[in-house]
Amino acid sequence: MDPENYDPEGDLMILNLGPQHPSTHGVFRVKLWLDGEVCIKAVPYPGYLHRGVEKLCEKLSYVMITPIVDKNDYVSPFINELAINMAFEALNAVETPRRANYLRTLGAEMQRVGSHLLWLGTFGLDMGGALGGGASVFMHCFRERELILDCFELWTGSRFHYNTLTVGGNRHDVPAGFAELVRQTYTLIGQRADEYDAMLVDNAIFRARTKGVGTVDAKLAMELGVSGPILRASGIDWDLRRDRPYAAYNEVKLDVPVRYEGDCFARYEVRMAELRESIRIVLDLIDGIPEGPICALKPVKLPGAYKGKVGQAYAAVEGPRGELGTWVIADGTDKPYRCKIRPPSYHAVSLIPYLAPGNNVSDIVVTLGSLDPILGEVDR
Amino acid sequence: MAVDESGQAFTHPLYNVMAQLPGVSLGLTTADQLLTWGASNSLFVFPMATSCCGIEFMAAACGRFDLDQMGTIARGTPRQCDVMVIAGTITVKMAPRVKKLWDQMPEPKWAIAMGSCAISGDFYRDIYSVVPGVDTFMPVDVYVPGCPPNPDQLFAGMRRLQEKIRMRRNGEWTEPELRPETFGFKSPNLPRIGDPRREASLDEAQLDAVINLDPGGGLRRPDPKGSL
Repeated sequence: MDPENYDPEGDLMILNLGPQHPSTHGVFRVKLWLDGEVCIKAVPYPGYLHRGVEKLCEKLSYVMITPIVDKNDYVSPFINELAINMAFEALNAVETPRRANYLRTLGAEMQRVGSHLLWLGTFGLDMGGALGGGASVFMHCFRERELILDCFELWTGSRFHYNTLTVGGNRHDVPAGFAELVRQTYTLIGQRADEYDAMLVDNAIFRARTKGVGTVDAKLAMELGVSGPILRASGIDWDLRRDRPYAAYNEVKLDVPVRYEGDCFARYEVRMAELRESIRIVLDLIDGIPEGPICALKPVKLPGAYKGKVGQAYAAVEGPRGELGTWVIADGTDKPYRCKIRPPSYHAVSLIPYLAPGNNVSDIVVTLGSLDPILGEVDR
Repeated sequence: MAVDESGQAFTHPLYNVMAQLPGVSLGLTTADQLLTWGASNSLFVFPMATSCCGIEFMAAACGRFDLDQMGTIARGTPRQCDVMVIAGTITVKMAPRVKKLWDQMPEPKWAIAMGSCAISGDFYRDIYSVVPGVDTFMPVDVYVPGCPPNPDQLFAGMRRLQEKIRMRRNGEWTEPELRPETFGFKSPNLPRIGDPRREASLDEAQLDAVINLDPGGGLRRPDPKGSL
């Protein structure tokens, strides 16, 4: 059937999935052409959360931008702050102290665990009633995520949207007793992650609904610029933490999990392996943080007091969803001239027109959940 | 009716049916108390969760905070819900959808603006694509400030809403909620609902402008060709 010249009175039906739909993880609309329940064609429409962040960055000074980018990927704000501050530091050739690098690595890995837990919970919710009520995985994962938010609240004073990184280092040092709390929390989460893994993988319905569904070809993924767990589940061994190390990652032992199937189950396996790997890194790091200053620059009293150099710089970090990059062009004033943010989720949702045709609507929901898009980051 | 400024008492559609029956009006007081008790203690929530505040709303609905303890369950469809919680930034493209979903909710209904983006637009308020507060196009009963507000603060907002429903039943005057201003020295870009300066045509004009800006809008007349 030809979706372009379809007959409205005929067999094809148009279904708008979203913008307000619980399974789209935010406000995101996919227009589906359906023949019975099988999708013929799918067109995604982003932009329902376009907040003009890049334009806002041009109006604010360097030290004021950090809390703005927190809200882009609101599931992993720490890594957003890291990406944009690394670009500013590369622009101004600022060396961050060794302790700040270690704290940044620690915070990024702690945040990655929280982000993957939220993904696991919502992914279980997308499966609906298939998992014994569906909401049980969601409830369990949010219970563990609260413990992580407690650690961050002790460290930075906020549950999320920390505003803790700045140009040249960190604002907040870890408090006394932080290491013990983090060790207890992440040991507990590591034990419970095994339980969830057993609960999901031993479930025949879960396997039936994820294996062979939404297969991403490695060539297609590379052409669309997809990165992160989706790329690694398709067999490409690429991780910026290992291949272009930043912060303190060159001093951290890191195993990159890779799967070759490219389907939803492979993406699930990669994310669970990353979750365990991040927990191991946190437990390795927490005792070996070196002493020293946490910020290379003196804190500025006025937002406009910090002037950047002329030039441009790009810095990328490996977020929970892939390569999160920031490109800054500066003209020597206290504000950047242009600030481009490269979100990994935007490239992930561009896979939908290729993945949806030939699948049932319920499988499209599962596929969309396994891509883990955060719409604040897609639309900026 | 949820609009504070209207000054109307809290009514339920069942009253109109009951008031027509002979001899029932004496029992209406008891029925009224019963309905108010039920309405205030089982507020089903429609989460209009767009961004960060939606994550905090999910956290509030989950284990540690447990929104169910006050009879509040999040439902995915507006037709089963009493309260709309607008959690997150509402953009110009999203505003007609929010209005449409709000109109689909059955009376009596209430609205909570959660987070500074829904209240006033926060630091996005001067951006071309962001609505400076949801009360520019729909009524809001309770404001829950914060960026994002903690789940505890959302609980306080729900309690305040319950309190308002009960006070309305008793015929007491409830103060219209003051909109917490992020920047005290700035006046809102548009007069709020209930502001005497606000013209009645403003709502329609704003909604029209929003619909015309939207290239793929759901409220637009459907293209007979069905093109993209």
